[in-house]
Amino acid sequence: MKKSLLLSAALVMAGTAVSAETLRIPHELGYGGSESIDPISPQRFYEAIQNVYSRLVRQGEDGRPSPDLALSWEATPDAKEWTFKLREGVTFHNGNAFTAEDVAFSLMRTQSETIDSPTKGVMEIIDHVEVVDPMTAKVVLKQTHADFPLLVMDYRIKMLDAETCGNELDALCESGVGTGPFQLVDYDPLGTTTLKRFDNYYNGPAGTENMELIAIADQDARVAALQAGQIDFIYALSAEQTPLFANNPNFTVQSVPTGRWVGLVMNTQTAPFDDPRVRKAIRMTADRDALGKLVYGKDGFITSCDHPVWSGDQYRADIDCPRDIEGAKALLAEAGYADGLTVELFVSDISEGAVKMAEVLQNQAKDAGITIELIQAPSDGYWGDVWMKEAFFATGWSQRPADQILNEAYRSTAAWNETGWNSSEFDAQLDAARGELDFDARKAVYGEMQKTLWETGGSFIPVHLNTVRAFSSKLSGIQPVEDFSIRYEDVVKSGSGS
Amino acid sequence: MPTLILRRFGFAAFTIAFVSLVMFAAVEALPGNVCTSFLQRFAQGPRLERCIEQQGLDRPALVRYGDWVAGAAQGDFGYSLKKRKPVNELIWERFRNTALLGGIAALLAIPLAIFLGIAAGVRRDRPVDLSLSGAAMLAMTIPEFVTATALIYVFAILLQWFPAVTIVSPGASVLQMLPNIVLPVIVLSAVLIAHIMRMVRASVIDVMASDYVQMARLKGVPERQIIRKHVVPNAMIPALNVIALTIAWLLAGVVVVEKVFNYPGLGTLMIQAIYDRDLPMVQAVALIFSVIYVAVNLLADLAALVLDPRLRRKGH
Repeated sequence: MKKSLLLSAALVMAGTAVSAETLRIPHELGYGGSESIDPISPQRFYEAIQNVYSRLVRQGEDGRPSPDLALSWEATPDAKEWTFKLREGVTFHNGNAFTAEDVAFSLMRTQSETIDSPTKGVMEIIDHVEVVDPMTAKVVLKQTHADFPLLVMDYRIKMLDAETCGNELDALCESGVGTGPFQLVDYDPLGTTTLKRFDNYYNGPAGTENMELIAIADQDARVAALQAGQIDFIYALSAEQTPLFANNPNFTVQSVPTGRWVGLVMNTQTAPFDDPRVRKAIRMTADRDALGKLVYGKDGFITSCDHPVWSGDQYRADIDCPRDIEGAKALLAEAGYADGLTVELFVSDISEGAVKMAEVLQNQAKDAGITIELIQAPSDGYWGDVWMKEAFFATGWSQRPADQILNEAYRSTAAWNETGWNSSEFDAQLDAARGELDFDARKAVYGEMQKTLWETGGSFIPVHLNTVRAFSSKLSGIQPVEDFSIRYEDVVKSGSGS
Repeated sequence: MPTLILRRFGFAAFTIAFVSLVMFAAVEALPGNVCTSFLQRFAQGPRLERCIEQQGLDRPALVRYGDWVAGAAQGDFGYSLKKRKPVNELIWERFRNTALLGGIAALLAIPLAIFLGIAAGVRRDRPVDLSLSGAAMLAMTIPEFVTATALIYVFAILLQWFPAVTIVSPGASVLQMLPNIVLPVIVLSAVLIAHIMRMVRASVIDVMASDYVQMARLKGVPERQIIRKHVVPNAMIPALNVIALTIAWLLAGVVVVEKVFNYPGLGTLMIQAIYDRDLPMVQAVALIFSVIYVAVNLLADLAALVLDPRLRRKGH
């Protein structure tokens, strides 16, 4: 209670001192106030960790890994040992120097059983980390992975100060000491968390002096707060909310592609979907552009050809998938459904636009003699009772890099292999891609896999969704990149008052 | 008289017990269970097992109901899945915030509504009455989220006098909360005033037409005195139940208003818990709301007993 009184007093002062030098970002309160400043906590405080810590490697403009705290990296020919050369002269907010010891500590703790981090499954590939010298760390993997830098590019794999965390691998480290552009001043995930710029940031001091992460759980409330000037920025506007800001000179609206997708899934082991001709026929009936416009609005999507790799990913394959009713009819006739086919599709309001998407496909498939009967399942219990239980059902996935989405959704042994995709050839390609150190060759393998999914796969993925953000026109320097890659240190806020 | 009071308490206790049973049964009737509905597609393997163990879902429903009721009676509402904390740690500061909002709204609205109701009733069909009644109709017909949005637009977005949404943490001091509750209080009061005022007005008109008021007039008692001594006390009795009902309405209204203004009270907590499918939290807040509802009605009954001797006779 005493602490909260002090915080309140601090907030009153912060409230009166709001100036052009304070960047105010909403915090979505995804964990209801239990947010942790430890980046690998299951309840990571995303908006804070994004600015307080740095990664080894971060996303470059071309989607490929670019230097952050590591300046360069190279692998042994078997892609099992990765050596990272670190940036010299980087210090933590408390003045400690950043060294290879911190890299070893930060990577190994992701595997802790007690922390049970969501990053654990992916990072378990690390066997151990050798400190070659203070500025060189060698990561030894249990198995080959040619894209290991992509794994450490994950927004949660941040570099912590081993000393501040007491070298304790099995406990959360909530000191909030990082090397990032902003340092923690006041931690209040339910109210306003205050950061100030870190003057010794390796890339020079940030564009604004202070940053406030203001907890607003409700999107409508965030919209009102942006309109009233209580915050400067808002993520993930819906199609209905966008017009509130679109033609207003006080606000800038940005629409950027992401890797999020909503899809309809056919189980490739269950009749009639065990016949690849049936699967392809259904998918060929879709006019993806028309579907996207109807379900997500004109600027809300980028069409995809049932390949789950998104447009911003370096491995995205270039596939063309126009609507082809005659082709679909021919395939159906070949598969023995010359007189038409009737299937049941289970949908529920589980992901943005899932039900609408099913309705549009229902209409488009009619032209090829396919009758889709929609069955509305309750959203309560959907993931337990319908998803991966029925033969044809709706799904939704958040953004993942190519390697991750292909492994999580299509490896024959994956827990979330929702199409029942069982191809030893595909599994071998997944392994081959991980073992291929040459970028172009690797890209070719990923391309092959995506083409296979378009030709014979069970997922209907008509589009990847865009995300729309709006911000005060006083802000400049926000690049049109997906949310995880925004660099708030580059943002400048002009003008006085708020 | 004591038996009457006891009976009222008995009814109240029975109602709460019944509500708790219905709420528990409703959650049981949902597809899946507390853990699968919260974990969604993560509901498998060790994570599901841990959740089931922690929530005690491996025990029979009756045992769990008994535990839940016994816990709730002592202020222990179980464990929130989403917040990973005991529910009662999260509830009380939000309860304070909701009580602050609802309390101030009620304290402002009820006296004002009674005063306006009397003024309108006494000057029936005259301009004062017509304009007050018209305004009341308007306030009752416009949903509170529309009023709230309009107020936000004018006072927060255009004039920037008040914050559009609350951005202080739930544990902030009362002083900190005050600027944030101005607009919500106006929205809530408007509806409260409209309902109570109309009832008081109708009641005053009834009493004004009664024989004893006519008698007093004929005896030459000054009009002011008639109103103060005869009309107001008698008009208050039927109004009392409406006030109680309106305060109960306040509980529902507060959920909507808290949501629009992002006010950190029980209402936003409940809505968030529903979104998150955090069923222990939903159950806890719903139970608290029903207890308040029953308590307010109980108080109104008791107050009516005090004000109206007729009710104390047998058969009522």
